[in-house]
Amino acid sequence: MEIDKTKKQTGKLFGLSVEEYEKISELLGREPDPFELGIFSAMWSEHCSYKSSKVYLKTLPTEGSKVLIGPGENAGVVDFGDGDVLVFKMESHNHPSFIEPFQGSATGVGGIMRDIFTMGARPVANLNSLRFGSFSHPRTPYYLSEVVKGIGFYGNCMGVPTVGGEVVFDECYNDNILVNAFTIGIAKKDGIFLSSKCEVGNIVVYVGSATGMDGIHGATMASEEFDLKKNKKRSTVQVGDPFTEKLLLEACLEAMEKKLIVSIQDMGAAGLTSSSFEMADKSGKGMLIDLDAIPLRTAGMTPVEMMLSESQERMLIACEKEKFDELKAVFDKWGLNCVKAGEVIKEKVIKFYYKSKIYKTLDVDIIVNGPEYKRPLKKPEYLNKIKSVKINNNNNYKIPENLEDLAVKIITHPNIASKRTVFTQYDYSIGTATVVPPGFSAAVLRVNKTDADGGKGFLLNTSGNSRYTYLDPFTGGALAVTECSRNITACGGYPVAITDCLNFASPEDPEIMWQFAYAVEGIKSAAVKLNTPVISGNVSFYNETTKKEGDKTYVSKIYPTPVIGMVGFIDDAAKALTPFFKDEGDEIYMLGSIKGNLGGSLYMELAYGDFRQKPADLDLEYEVRLQSCLRALISKGFLKSAADISEGGIFTALAESAITNPEKTLGFNTDCVLEANALGLRIDEFLFSEFEQAFIITADKKTDLRRKPETDAILKEYGIKLEKIGRVEKGAMKINGIINLKSDKIKEGYDSKITGAAIF
Amino acid sequence: MIKKIKAGITVFPGSNCDADVYRVLNSVFGVSASFIWHKDEIKNLKEYDFIVIPGGFSYGDYLRSGALAARSPIMESVKDYSVKGGIVLGICNGFQILLEAGLLNGVMLANRSLKFECKDVYLKTLNTETPFTCAIKKGSVLKMPIAHHDGNYFATDSLISDLDEKKSVIFKYCDEKGEITASSNPNGSIRNIAGISNPAGNVMGLMPHPERSSEKILGSEDGGWIFKSIIKYIKEK
Repeated sequence: MEIDKTKKQTGKLFGLSVEEYEKISELLGREPDPFELGIFSAMWSEHCSYKSSKVYLKTLPTEGSKVLIGPGENAGVVDFGDGDVLVFKMESHNHPSFIEPFQGSATGVGGIMRDIFTMGARPVANLNSLRFGSFSHPRTPYYLSEVVKGIGFYGNCMGVPTVGGEVVFDECYNDNILVNAFTIGIAKKDGIFLSSKCEVGNIVVYVGSATGMDGIHGATMASEEFDLKKNKKRSTVQVGDPFTEKLLLEACLEAMEKKLIVSIQDMGAAGLTSSSFEMADKSGKGMLIDLDAIPLRTAGMTPVEMMLSESQERMLIACEKEKFDELKAVFDKWGLNCVKAGEVIKEKVIKFYYKSKIYKTLDVDIIVNGPEYKRPLKKPEYLNKIKSVKINNNNNYKIPENLEDLAVKIITHPNIASKRTVFTQYDYSIGTATVVPPGFSAAVLRVNKTDADGGKGFLLNTSGNSRYTYLDPFTGGALAVTECSRNITACGGYPVAITDCLNFASPEDPEIMWQFAYAVEGIKSAAVKLNTPVISGNVSFYNETTKKEGDKTYVSKIYPTPVIGMVGFIDDAAKALTPFFKDEGDEIYMLGSIKGNLGGSLYMELAYGDFRQKPADLDLEYEVRLQSCLRALISKGFLKSAADISEGGIFTALAESAITNPEKTLGFNTDCVLEANALGLRIDEFLFSEFEQAFIITADKKTDLRRKPETDAILKEYGIKLEKIGRVEKGAMKINGIINLKSDKIKEGYDSKITGAAIF
Repeated sequence: MIKKIKAGITVFPGSNCDADVYRVLNSVFGVSASFIWHKDEIKNLKEYDFIVIPGGFSYGDYLRSGALAARSPIMESVKDYSVKGGIVLGICNGFQILLEAGLLNGVMLANRSLKFECKDVYLKTLNTETPFTCAIKKGSVLKMPIAHHDGNYFATDSLISDLDEKKSVIFKYCDEKGEITASSNPNGSIRNIAGISNPAGNVMGLMPHPERSSEKILGSEDGGWIFKSIIKYIKEK
């Protein structure tokens, strides 16, 4: 078939490649008309079709004894016992948040909550993982304050606590911020609703807000890199109304409780298009859609605009004919639209009616089965320059004269300093379930039972380290999973399952695709070893921006940023352990082993001006034993605190443990030189190497942890070492004669760093 | 059998602390609490021993926090109930609604920081002779969380004198030791005011959340003293 060149250009305008345009023409036996082009561009976008990532995502472990529903539905589901299930997912909203940070982040939170209550679960907690440009970049305070406001605006109004997350600053995000939002909900095992249950003869019902001109081509926009005209894309960002979503939540749950819904899907990316085609496809049915029935905010919207609008707070429902009136009564009570918009039919096509006539008929399979690419891979050039570095006895890396100053710089570095200013803008205490609030290893929530006891609980954590992934994509991917698991273990919980948000630059660049492939491989290895299947997630490509500096044009790309959200369980939430020191006189121990590899660390950046060295490999087999060993010690009730070793190394773990106790500021006195010497490490290697496979734990002096026969038995069983390194004191942080810092002063710097940022 | 104390919890579109208050009253304090939908035409709230207007974002905080809910049909019944001496407790958005409805005096402004603030605060009880505070030990300091954007209570000088005269200032923000200081005030409210009552003392509004601090596992049981006081008052009445 001969295709007109200008028409190929049309396809390109819609974000489709020439090959894709040709493929569509071949499938249809003719060239697509503008309506079809709109539908294809949305459904075949990277955002909706996962066309570049599918090949790799298929390799992830998705099954496990607790997994009830894996990837493919609106969210994943795990069995929480006693007839309860937990439903969770994390999703990116990067592109909209960079264009319009307040609405972008707000609707990101709104969208992920809808995914959860679509499944029949009441959302009970939100988390988020945020990446901003360099802390000193002039626009960082603007993005930070607007994104945080947006998240609070939506979550607070919905009455869902925001209990944790991450805030990271790095210049690789100067031109592309990342906003990843996570929601978890609780449902009854027999109260789960799916998008795949439509029956022939069901009425297709449109509920929620009216359809407007906002967010049109949102999915296509999120599948492209930014160019120099970023600000012209504002109309592609949706505008959120959390009040309407709160009503929609209550109405949907009420209708579900009354068994008025057969099948349901929210209108997220690509709005009415994706919800109708995906519901039809998953149910193996077709639909009649009456475009005349769609409630509109703007008169005269064209069919393609109606189909592509990403107006928020809308759902598509399939309901039995005779139950429609009852369904409508529920939505009337909550003051929401509820209109008959079509019918489920046997033939697997979608027939659109417009102005009372059949307007178009589209084949479901053709639309839904988008392309799948195995894009070319190429090991990135830069990786050849990334080498391991050993600083001990190396004249290029002489030990800095004043380690104390560096220690202060590290503990008050924006990536380590307290994020209290951020999380106090989120309502984290609503729901009366938050046992461990944000700011510590993992958030711990109990399940509200009518008898008001402690009882079972769950733990939530998000983690990702883009620098390490940049330096070693496999290790970075594995580390994100491991780090979540460490945080959950340190609170006394056990990891259960994960959701992932994979943020990368353009998949059309073979070097980026290589990073992606290896990062996914890393996630897979760790998820298999730690027995945490991946039950939901999302991929965000094209996090890059074309920039112009003088006559030079270049592309600013983010580091590969796989973020993991993990859920763990705990038998008694009241027994959850916190990472901070409890009392003066408690003994401090190190559980595990220290390699002392400073590659990629903050210390290398601050002391020697470059972090680009190869990080240590992760021994996953050892990791499993280490975490099991810690859980065993915690379950015996021997420990008063446990903290993992992440950014900033052992020094930071000790310092944070001393100054984050909400009741009192403590200090410590440790003999780290002895430990470092025993391991053949220089003191700075010992203190500042990051993501070590070890934990800092404390126990009451009376427990005499090291000499307990039960401790010995546990250590032997798992083959893990335990060394006493010091004790908790008041007032100062002391490491041999090398570091002696006043706790109060450090706390002040740690607490005020982020608060002090310009307009924040 | 002793008759259970009955509480009514009003529910507006956008109320979101209703379920928390319901659970805590029923399962922690053994009260028989039930919801009252704002459109339900309950002309007479007589059957309830007390009414709670819970927190949230009624009507999405559109217009002004609490302004629309204050004009909802159920508020007419609440007014009527309070005039006859019924006990009414407004928490957070409930406090804002009571101000907008004219059941309490003064106005609510945005927090001085212009940010939503969620954190634990300390409260000093100024009057322990009300239905809401009669079980609280004089001089004790209570720890409770706040979570609001508009909690900056303001009153004119003459209103402040009135409030003082009638002993209507019930709670003030203070530090851990009970000192009323500027740095312990989380939202800039005038004279550190956290909660006030009407002149008769049967209607109280406060910004902190007692329902989120009534169980040990949540880090404080101090908020429970407000519910215990109401129960004590009703039993002894």
